[in-house]
Amino acid sequence: MKNELYRFILNKEHHQYRRRIDWNLAAEYCALGLSPDERMSDRFSRMCREERAVILPGEQIVLIRTIENLPDIFTEGEWTEIKENHYIHELGYHSNLAPDYYSTIASGLLAKREFADEYGKRAIDSVIALADQYLEEAKRIGRDDLVEIFTRIPRYGARTFREALQFFRILHFALWLEGNYHVTVGRFDKHIYPYLKNDMEKGIITEDEALDLLCDFFLSFNKDSDLYPGVQQGDNGQSMMLGGVDENGNEVFNLLSALCLKASARNKMIDPKINLRVNKNTDIEIFKQATELTRCGLGFPQYSNDDVVIPALEALGYEHKDATDYTVAACWEFIIPAVGADIANIAALSYPKAVDIALHTALLSSETYADFFNAVKTEIEKESERICSSINNVWFVPSPLMRTLMNTDISGKGKYHNFGIHGTGIATASDSLAAIKKYVFEDKSIDKGSLITAVDSNFENDPELLNLLRYHSPKLGNNDDFVDSIATELLDAFADSLSGRVNCLGGVYRAGTGSAMYYLWHANEIGASPDGRRLGEPFGTNFSVSLFARIHGPISVIASMTKPHVERAINGGPLTLEFHSSVFDDVDGIEKIAMLVKRYVALGGHQLQLNTVNKEVLLEAQKNPEAYRNLIVRIWGWSAYFVELSPEYQNHVIARQEYSV
Amino acid sequence: MKGIIFDVKEMALHDGPGIRTTVFLKGCPLRCKWCHNPEGLHQASELMFKYSLCKGCNRCRKECEHPECKPFARCVRACPEGLLQIVGESIEATELAARIEDGAKILGDSFGGVTFSGGEPLMQWKFLLETVKMLGKYHLAIETSGHAEKSVFREVLEKMDLVMMDIKLADPEAHKYYTGVDNSLILSNLKELQASGKPHIIRTPLIPGITDTEENLRRIECIVGDSKWERLPYNKLAGAKYGMLGLKYELD
Repeated sequence: MKNELYRFILNKEHHQYRRRIDWNLAAEYCALGLSPDERMSDRFSRMCREERAVILPGEQIVLIRTIENLPDIFTEGEWTEIKENHYIHELGYHSNLAPDYYSTIASGLLAKREFADEYGKRAIDSVIALADQYLEEAKRIGRDDLVEIFTRIPRYGARTFREALQFFRILHFALWLEGNYHVTVGRFDKHIYPYLKNDMEKGIITEDEALDLLCDFFLSFNKDSDLYPGVQQGDNGQSMMLGGVDENGNEVFNLLSALCLKASARNKMIDPKINLRVNKNTDIEIFKQATELTRCGLGFPQYSNDDVVIPALEALGYEHKDATDYTVAACWEFIIPAVGADIANIAALSYPKAVDIALHTALLSSETYADFFNAVKTEIEKESERICSSINNVWFVPSPLMRTLMNTDISGKGKYHNFGIHGTGIATASDSLAAIKKYVFEDKSIDKGSLITAVDSNFENDPELLNLLRYHSPKLGNNDDFVDSIATELLDAFADSLSGRVNCLGGVYRAGTGSAMYYLWHANEIGASPDGRRLGEPFGTNFSVSLFARIHGPISVIASMTKPHVERAINGGPLTLEFHSSVFDDVDGIEKIAMLVKRYVALGGHQLQLNTVNKEVLLEAQKNPEAYRNLIVRIWGWSAYFVELSPEYQNHVIARQEYSV
Repeated sequence: MKGIIFDVKEMALHDGPGIRTTVFLKGCPLRCKWCHNPEGLHQASELMFKYSLCKGCNRCRKECEHPECKPFARCVRACPEGLLQIVGESIEATELAARIEDGAKILGDSFGGVTFSGGEPLMQWKFLLETVKMLGKYHLAIETSGHAEKSVFREVLEKMDLVMMDIKLADPEAHKYYTGVDNSLILSNLKELQASGKPHIIRTPLIPGITDTEENLRRIECIVGDSKWERLPYNKLAGAKYGMLGLKYELD
C-alpha cells in the first residue's frame, strides 16, 4: 500500500484529480472596484470552496491540490498602472517568508482568529471550511484515523506528532493556494520535536513509525510542487532548517532532526530542501549523519554556520534573539521566521562586469594596479547606486492569510525590511584582476592594449596568451594569497558600497555571496575576460571557484574561500563543492567528508553545499567538457578528471553509474 | 636536496587515517602490467597529452623559447585547450615539507598525516627521509612495493607509523613476468615488517586471471599469516592514462 502511494505520486497519477477553472476574476473585481484585500480574500475563499477533498489509499498526511490554476486578481491594465507607480518584485507577492506555523499549530486557528484583522478572519474561516471537506470525505470513506484528526485540527491545537504534521500541511497548502510562493518551512525540528517526544514518552509512536510518518509528510511537499511558480521546476523554496542553537545558545539538533535527514535520504525527492545549522562545537557524529544524506546525491543538506551568521546578522541590526532564530529563504538567503519581511533576492551585482568596464575605460590610464583596482571599486559603487536608486515605492499584493501567520507587518511597516543583493562571479573577477596585477603591472609581460584587444577578440589570435591566463595565472581556490586577497578586497568593496544605504522601506541593504541564476545571465552581459574565460562561458555558481581553474583540491578551496570577510556579505550564498558519488561509497569517505565540513566551519566559512555528481551531469559533461573540467571521478586507487578520459573510459564510468542507481 | 614528485593530493581516501596529504614520488623499479599510475614509472619529467580533447590545430608543433618545453618536441604553452602538461616536478625537500605544513595548518585537528606513495617512494628514500625530518610530528604512512635494499627498507620503516605494502603474486616466476622483478627481496622485507611489530596492511590488487587466481590468493594468504590483508578490486579504467603518455596498456 505504502509503495503504491509513492509510485502513484511519482508517476503523477494524482494529476487525474486536477481541473482548470476559467473564472475571469480580474474583470469581475475591476468592475466592482474591489480593494486588493477584498480581491485576495474573495479569491482565497472561492478557491477553498472549489477544492475537492481527495484522500488516497494509504495516505497518512492528506491534502492535494485539485485546481491547477490561480486566476489573477488584477486586469492587465491594472497591473500596468500598479507597475507605473510602484516597484514590483517578481510576481508581486511578498515571497521568501518563513511564516509562524508553529504557534498556530500549538494554539489552533480559532485562537489565532481572535487576533486577526477582518480579512484574516475570513481567510481562517476559509481554511477551516477546506479542512471540513476532508473531514466529511474521511467519514464517507471510513477513514476513522483522519476523522479523529480533522475533528480536532485545524480549529484547535495539535496534540500529537501526526496532528502537528497534518496541521502544518494544511497551513502550507493554504498559503500556496492564497497565491504566495517560495513559502519556506523554517525551523521544523525545533518546534515539532516536542510533539514527537511527548508521543514517544506516552508510548503511542515508535521511532520507526515516526520515520514512516515523516516520509509521508515529506512526500506531501512533492504532490503539488509542479504547480508552484519558479525559474525552473524545483525552484519552489520549500526549504527546511534543522539544527542550530536556540535563543539560549543550546544545541537544537534532536531525534527529529536525525529522522528528517533519514526521511530525506529514504524518499530521495527534491522537497523539502534540507538545511542544517552547525557551529564549531557541533559533534562530528552530526556531520556524519548529514554526510550520509549528501551521499544520496540530492545536494542536501546545505550547511550554515551559526558562529558566523548570527553575529553578522546582529551587525546588520537584527536583535540577538531574532538573529539566533535565522533560517533560509528559497535558496540560501538568511531570513528571520515570523518577524522578518526582508526581500532577500531583490537584485544582483556582477563583479566581472565591473572589471570589464574598468578594463575598457580605465586600464590604459592606470599607472599602478592600485589605480586600476580603484577604478573597479568605483564601478562597483556605481552599480550599487544604480541598483539601489532603481528600487523605490515597493508594493506587495496583500496576503491576508500570510499576514495573519506573520508576527510583523509585512506590508512595509514591520520589524525587518532589508533588501538582499547577490554578488555574481567573484572568482572570474578575482582571477581577472590577479592576471592584470601580475602580468600587466608587476611582470609587465603583457601590454595593456594587447590584453584589451585579446579579450575583445575572444583570444582568437593569441592562443598562447589564452593558455597563460587560463591555466598558468593565479586562481582563486588554490590557497594563494596573491589572488585570495583580491577576492577579499572585492567582497569588501561590495559590502562598503551598500553600507549605510537605507532602502525605500527604511531597511538596510545586505550584500550577499549568492548568484542565483545570474551566473548565466551576467556571464552573457560581457565577452571574454582577462582570466582566460572565453566568450559565453558561465561563471561559477554562488561563492565558488572558476569552472576551468586548475585547483589543487578541496582543502585549498576551503582555505581560500574562508579568507574573505563573508560576515560582511551575509545575505547568503554557499561555497559549492562537487564530489563524485563514489567518494561516499564507504565509511572512510563519509568520515573524511564529515571532517572536511567540520573544518570548513571551524575556519569560519558561512555556508556550504556539497554535491555528489550523477549520471546526468556526466552525460552533460560529455557534451560540454569545458564546463566540467573540475569534475572528479574516483576510479580505483586513483582519481581522474572525467573530461580528460577517452570516450570509452567515460562511457565506462557512465555505465557503472547506471548500476548504482 | 631535490626529489621528483608527480602529485600532491590534498584529500586522499583509503590512504590511511584522517584527512591526509599524499605525496606521489616519481619513479618505480617495477613495471606491473596493470599499473594505474603510469606517470609514476619513470624518474624524469614527461609530457602528458590529453589527446582525446585535441582539436588538431598543431599550434604546439611551432618552435618556442620556453626552457621547460626543450626536452619535448612540442610547446606546452601554446595549446588553447591546455591539453599538454609536464608531469613530474623537481622539488627541494624543504619546499615539499613547507607545502605539507601549509595543508596541515589549514586542517588543524582534522589533519590525519602524510602518506608517501608513488611510483615507488623507496626509490627516493634519501629525499623522503630528508622531507620527513623537516616535518612536524605527524602520522606517517607509506605505500610501497617493498622492492628495496634491506637497509633502506629498514631505515624508512623505522620512521613510519603505518606501512601499506603490496604482495601481488606469490610465484617468483609469475612475479618476474608481470612486474619485471622477482619477489625474493619483497618477501624478505615483508618478513622483517611482520616481525617488527609496526602497524601494517598487506594489499593485493585483484587483477583478473593474474593475481585473483585461487592458487595465488591461497599462497598469499599463507604469506600474510596474522597480518591485515586488503584485496583491492581491479577496475578496467586503470589503463586510462597510458595513451596520454604515449604508452600502450598491455592488459587492454
